[in-house]
This record gives sequence, structure tokens and C-alpha cells, in this order.
Amino acid sequence: MIMNDTLTSDVIGRRVSVNGECATVRFYGTVPPVAGLWLGVEWDNPERGKHDGSHGGTVYFKCSHPTGGSFIRPHKANFGVDFLTALRDRYEDEPEDDAKKQIVTIGNIPVETIGFGSVIKKQSQLSELRDISLRSCAVSCSGDKGDIASTCPNIRVVNLSQNLLSAWEEVTDIAEQLRHLEVLDLSENKLRFPLGSPAPVGTFAALKVLVLNRTGVTWAEVLHCAQGWPALEELYLKSNNISISERPADVLQLVRLLDLSSNQSIDENQLFLIAYLPRLERLILGDIGISSLHFPDAGVGCKTAMFPSLQSLVLDDNRISQWSVINELDKLQSLHSLSCLRNPLTVGSEAKTHLQFIIAKIGQLRTLNRCEIRPEERRGAELDYRKAFGKEWKEAGGHQDPDQDRPSEAFLAAHPRYQALCRKYGAPEDGELKTQQPFLLKNQLLTLKINCPDRPDQKALEKQLPDSMTIQKVKGLLSRLLKVPVSDLLLAYESPKMPGREIELENDQQSLQFYSVENGDCLLVRW
Amino acid sequence: QRECLSIHVGQAGIQIGDACWELYCLEHGIHPDGFILDNRKDQLESAETEHMDASFNTFFCETRAGKHVPRALFIDLEPTVIDGIRTGKHRSLFHPEQLVSGKEDAANNYARGHYSLGSEIIDLVLERIRKLAEQCSGLQGFLIFRSLGGGTGSGFTSLLMEHLSIQYGRKTKLEFSVYPAPRISTAVVEPYNSILTTHFTLENSDCTFMVDNEALYDICHHKLGVERPSYTIINRLIGQAVSSITASLRFEGPLNVDLNEFQTNLVPYPRIHFPMTAFAPIISADNAYHKDFSVADITTACFEVSNQLVKCDPRLGKYMACCLLYRGDVVPKDVNAAIAAMKSRNSVQFVDWCPTGFKVGINSQPPMTMPGGEMAKVQQAVCMLSNTTAVVEAWARLNHKFDLMYAKKAFLHWYIREGMEEEEFSEARKDLACLEKDYEEVGQSF
Repeated sequence: MIMNDTLTSDVIGRRVSVNGECATVRFYGTVPPVAGLWLGVEWDNPERGKHDGSHGGTVYFKCSHPTGGSFIRPHKANFGVDFLTALRDRYEDEPEDDAKKQIVTIGNIPVETIGFGSVIKKQSQLSELRDISLRSCAVSCSGDKGDIASTCPNIRVVNLSQNLLSAWEEVTDIAEQLRHLEVLDLSENKLRFPLGSPAPVGTFAALKVLVLNRTGVTWAEVLHCAQGWPALEELYLKSNNISISERPADVLQLVRLLDLSSNQSIDENQLFLIAYLPRLERLILGDIGISSLHFPDAGVGCKTAMFPSLQSLVLDDNRISQWSVINELDKLQSLHSLSCLRNPLTVGSEAKTHLQFIIAKIGQLRTLNRCEIRPEERRGAELDYRKAFGKEWKEAGGHQDPDQDRPSEAFLAAHPRYQALCRKYGAPEDGELKTQQPFLLKNQLLTLKINCPDRPDQKALEKQLPDSMTIQKVKGLLSRLLKVPVSDLLLAYESPKMPGREIELENDQQSLQFYSVENGDCLLVRW
Repeated sequence: QRECLSIHVGQAGIQIGDACWELYCLEHGIHPDGFILDNRKDQLESAETEHMDASFNTFFCETRAGKHVPRALFIDLEPTVIDGIRTGKHRSLFHPEQLVSGKEDAANNYARGHYSLGSEIIDLVLERIRKLAEQCSGLQGFLIFRSLGGGTGSGFTSLLMEHLSIQYGRKTKLEFSVYPAPRISTAVVEPYNSILTTHFTLENSDCTFMVDNEALYDICHHKLGVERPSYTIINRLIGQAVSSITASLRFEGPLNVDLNEFQTNLVPYPRIHFPMTAFAPIISADNAYHKDFSVADITTACFEVSNQLVKCDPRLGKYMACCLLYRGDVVPKDVNAAIAAMKSRNSVQFVDWCPTGFKVGINSQPPMTMPGGEMAKVQQAVCMLSNTTAVVEAWARLNHKFDLMYAKKAFLHWYIREGMEEEEFSEARKDLACLEKDYEEVGQSF
């Protein structure tokens, strides 16, 4: 529908489409020296225009971008249609007679549409329509009052995304006539929100799902209008450059799902303002540029009172690189599903290990990155985590004996669940914590003292011997050193770890390692 | 009344059945206990919707108390999986007699499922089916859900199908079969079981919709962002496909309104009855309302390999038949425009002699998803069923795996021990080789 010269000044602020591109009207009037009337528009696409609203030195209107504006002739702008016209256009159709119908082929086979006639007939009964989509139908207003209510009152689900609605009043005019409206998608309509009372009482009484992605809405506007959404359960606010500025005091109390993805202005402190929504179960914070999170009301290892019902949290595409964030998430009471794909912490060569650590750090997590965590997987992850940080734990004051177990504050802050894991699986044994020494020959050599207890005049010797050396070979060496025949030698050893106790090395075929001879022990030679 | 009986055999069949009936209940507004949700009740009482009532009675039987009981039978040779249903969310939905379990499982062995253990339970199963059939005024046929690789799914199903053909001669039998995938293989002998059961069931089945676990895994990974899908998610995906395929049987719809029509529209020759399924859109719940898929988008998506439920490349084969089933808020104008604008449509190749052509239908019932599930709810969806010669790739792969093991007679003793003979193997393999040739022949030009 194209307007003619009977435009009035209330055309300012209206949304229009010009050859498929959407814009907002900012000016209407003459632009000397050219004759005739012009519309000054600010395009949605900031590079589409020629200027920023000024021409020939005069400022006619303002744009936020230097190439965001243009002047166009009014007849070139499509001001859109009203709701019912768009509805009729889409759903009321004449079944085509075969003569008129163009045969479409796929491959070389004609496409046979079955039963389209009855579908068209059924859909034409506008009063029966319940679930409709008017996406990209250039809807700009609600039309005459009462028409919608008398034509299609049973509509429950409406997709009005990507249309030409310019003000919230137009939306309420439509919604007021759809008493059963449950789902409303208004994405990509740049709406102006009212300062006064938002809507007549009862307008959105049944509304459960509201989608306002890419509408430019602000948080204050959301809260202001939310008074009229008493039954709202799901709210989608993606890509609105929202900053959460206040707590939703008496509104949004039944909201179970909140999508705030791609709002880069949100930071962790703003999240405190929505932390007390009592029913919030699912929070989508993908792509908001967040790198840290903290719940100051809870100490290490305690549960926070914030987000009490939150079961599912999406933190994909953010800048999380610190383990402290994961530690904080363990403080959430009800969290059992976390998605944190494409964060610095979860990509790269260590990704798989890090995902295991996340499982270990958040005890009640049942789903990570949309994958179910099986009990065996949790067990493995927790055991690995306990082992991986065992050395650090010991060095920080940890001990297998509970009376002596006093790991430092710093350690507990970095590993809040460590104590719990020790209680669950037992404290890690020292043997588990030994790091493998690199296989160098010098690491395999035992430095041993050699004593001859029956020959006090014989000097004590010290030798370095590999632990794989057999007793027979040791005897051979000692025979040459002490000038005693091999068959006369009797070997034993004692260890400073077990003073006073001698262990005989009786089997010539066995190695020093077999007898657990260790570095610093003393060989006792008798003949 | 044109009732359909669903029979779910073995672990795969039962767990898919669980997902399907869960979804059907959601779509028809039935509570997990079998009673209709209140707000829908008013609808059903109005004269106009009597017709709708009649449609869903194809799948549900209404008792005098007003409870809606699925026309279904669940069978397994061991009790664990069925116990899951007996104690699960839908335990009150089914009558205890609809859940049949044995004591000892088939151990991934076709022979146990078909001969030793299967023969012990077949009479009971047939009796239960008889009872369900008696509740029908005009039974059209059976929908059988099973895996090809498992012991019960392969062995018992082939036994059952044989008996059904004898007892219910002319009733249509449609299968939903899970084709084994190497990546999630649970048993090495899956190729044996699959070839044996396919050979045996080939002449007893009228149309088999295959789903390939590997294709499903890829869909979960690439479209739903789930790197390691659980069976729950996979089965819900299959449930969506099955729901689309059976939508016209359960709701008023123009295309494929009865089981016979599936055959007429999709099966040109009795043995060439393995249509491929593709559907769109598949969107993760985390991306709900982030992107919009137009009718044109989802139509094109059906022709993409990544939306198919069986891994094969239709561009390498020829189509013999094709059905596009749109679902939800879809207007005929959009469908016509979408098809006319489809860029790839001229690269789609049909056989020279194509009898059935390309059929398109719309079912206005909106697609639904399980709340809290992995997939986002959408307003429009489409399911494409196509009989393409490219599906022979799946058989070729399986035959090859069979050959590798059979050449060494590997694992054969497990089957012979249960009473099978080597001849049955070679016979089955020959039949499948013939099937490959049949496909080749139908694809040739004159």
C-alpha cells in the first residue's frame, strides 16, 4: 500500500520499507531548491544512506550514522498494511483452476500438489486460525478497531517478526483484540515504547512467550511494559544492546526463561539485578562478552541465595578464561545444566581436560555442553581432578590424616570441592601423587654405602649402582674391590628408614630393586 | 475407522516407541495417564472436531472411562528395557498386557531371537496382537519398530513378520528400522543380524523407513550442537520423523492418509521399498527464535545430505518417487513459490519410467517438541520421503562388512549353536546381492 500526497506530519516515526530495506521516517517536508515533498528516512542499515540528515548546510533530521539517511519521494516508500489485510492476503486465497496453474517441475517430473484446495478452504476460515505467521508481510498497524476481534479472535500464536510496526501502541491495539494470545514474536520491529500507561488491563492476560529480539528495546521499557504481562513465562531479548538498569520488583515474577544473548553491554554486576526472579529456570547469556562471575553473598564452598531456581545456564561464546568462574557456578543451588562452548577456557589443546575439571568442580551438574554426564564419567572426572591437584594440596598443607589436614585458604578458594572429593573417595595416597621421573640413567642409579661390619679395619665405601643390577653382579664387583672370592661373600642391607633391621640379599639371580634397596641404604658385606 | 497397530520390538524399538508415544500424547493433548487435557476436551465435544476425533482413533483406543490407550504392543526377550516403561512416566498409559517381556535376552544373536528364544514367546505375542486387532473395526495394518543389528530386533521381528503375513494376509506392514552404524556399534555381529533379517523380512514387509544412527549422530552434532548425543536425544529426533510420517494418519490430512497410500506413492516394485527420510528444520532449543526458516529454506534443506536420516548421496542416484509433507502454518502459495524458486530442482534426477511423480501435501497440525528437550519448537516443518536408488549404498556397505566376517566364518558358531545353518547365511547374502542388482537395474535408462 503506497500513501499518496495526503501524508500528514504524524508520519514521522513511522516505519517504511523501500525495495526491501527498512527505515524510519524522520522528516517530511520540502527540501529546497528541489520542488515537491520529500521524506527524510534513517535506514536500518547505516551504510545504505547518503548523508546524516543534513543537506546543503541545513540540518533536516538527525541520524546516528554519517551515511544513515536519505531523502526519498513519498510514493517510493511502502508504509505497509494493517494486520487484517496482511492476514487475508496470506490465508485467504482462491484455489487456482488448473488452466491458470503453472506446472512446476522438479527434475523432469511435474509437482503434484495434493489437497491444496481443502487446505486453502480451511485456512480461509480466519476465525478458526490459531497459529499464524505474518513475518515480513509489511504489517504496520492494527487497522480499524474491533475488526481483528470479530475476524480472528482465536489466534494463540502470532509471528509478527520483521514487519513495519513502529510503536508499542500498535502492538497493544492488536493484542487487545486477541484474548487468547499466548505466543507473540515481534523480532526486528523497531518499536517506540510509551512513557505513560502501557496497555489496557487484560490485554496480554494469556501471554506466555514474548520475543523482542532486535527491537532496540531497553530494560527500562521492558520493565515498564511488563506490568501488563502477568502470565509471562518466556522472554527473549537478544541483540538489543541492553544494560540491566534496575531490579524487576513486581514484574516478570513468573518468568522461567530469559534470553539475553548478544547484549554486549551486560556485565556481571548487572546480573545481580535479576538474581531474585523466583521462577527463573533457564538463563541464556550467550555472546555477551562476559569474562567473570561472582556471587558475593556466599563464601567458599557455600551456596548462594541468588538465582535460586536456575537449572540451566548458557554461557557460550563469551570470554571466560578463569577457573574462578566455574568455582562460582558451583554455588548455585539448582544448577544442573551448563553450556560454555567457545570460551577461552573450553577451547584449544586442553579443552577435553578442562571439561573434565568443570564436571568435577560443579558437583550437581548433570549436563555439560548439552551432553549428559554419565555416572562413570563423573566418577572418572572427579578422581582425575583429585589426583591432578593432589601435589598442590599437599604443598598447601593438605594431609591424609584429618587431624593434620589444613590446606591454605588460597588452595580452598581455588579448589572449593577438593575436601568434598577427599571425603567421597578418600584423600589421595602419596603413591598416586608421585610424578614420573624422566627415564635418565642417573635417575636409576642408587647411591649406596658399603660397610663390612666384621672387619673394622675395612674403610666404608660408597658406590653408585643401577637398581637393576643382580646380586651376583654386585658380589662380583665387591669381590674385585675387597679382594675376596665371590663364593665367600654374604650380603645384606640396612636402610635408615628401618634402623636396626637387616635384610638378607640371598638370591643371586634377583636384582637390588627386587629387594627394595633404595637410594641412601647401606650394603653389609661379610665373609 | 482405519486403525493402525504399532509393534515395538527389542530395545531400540521400545525406546523409539517411548519417544513416539510421548510425542503423540503431546500432539493430541493426552496426559501421561491417558486422559485428555482439560482445555482440549471442549474442542473435542464440538461437532466440527468429531472428524478430528475419528482421525486420532487410528492410533488410540478410547475406553469407556474416557481413557485413551495406545494401539501398541511392546516386546522384548528380556525384561530390563520394558521394566523401564512399566515404571516410567507413561506406565499408566499402557495396559500391562501390552508390555511383553521374556526372561533371557537374545544376546545380539539373530538365531536366538528367531529360533530358540523367539519361538517360545511368539504364540503369546500373536495372541496379544489378536486381542488388539479385535478392538479395531477396520484394521489397516501394522507399524513395526525395530533395529536391524540387535538380536531381538532382527531375529524375533523376522519371525513375527512371517506369522503376521500368514494371519493377517492383506494388511499393510510398514517398518521403521534402525540401520547399524559403525561409530555407535554395540555388537560386532550387527552386519550378520542385519543381512539375515532383511532377507527374511523382505517379502513380508511393504515399506521400510530406515534411520541410520550415524546420520542421526551427525545431525545432533552439527545442527543441535550436541557432541555426544544420548539415546534419549537420538530417539526424540526419530520420534519427530515418525510423527511427521504418521501425521496424516493421525490428523486430518490430504496426503498419505492411509498405509496403502504410502505403498502406492512410494513403492514402485515390491522389493524396492526402502524410502529415505529427510526433515527440516532441526534447531537447537538454545537457538529458539534466533533465526527464522522460511518455507523456501526448509524445502531446500530437504535436499541436503545433512538433513537426511540415512547416509547416502541422492545426487549419485535417481529418484523413483518423492513425497513432501509440510506441517504446521504453511500456506499453499508459499509452497508453490518455494518449489518454483528452488535452485537445485533441475539437478534432481528421476528415473525415465517414474510412475508416481512428486507429491506435495500440507498438514496444518503444528509440529511439537518435548518441553525441556534439545529441539526448538517451530511453526513450520517439512518431511521428505523419497525412494532413491542411492539408498543401495547403505546395503552395499553392510554387505561388504558381512563379507569381511563371513569369509573367515568369524562368530558363526554363535549362530550354529542355536540351530542355524551356514546355508541360511549364504542364502541371505545372495538375496541382498540381488537387491543391490535390482536397484541398479531400476536406475538404468532405457
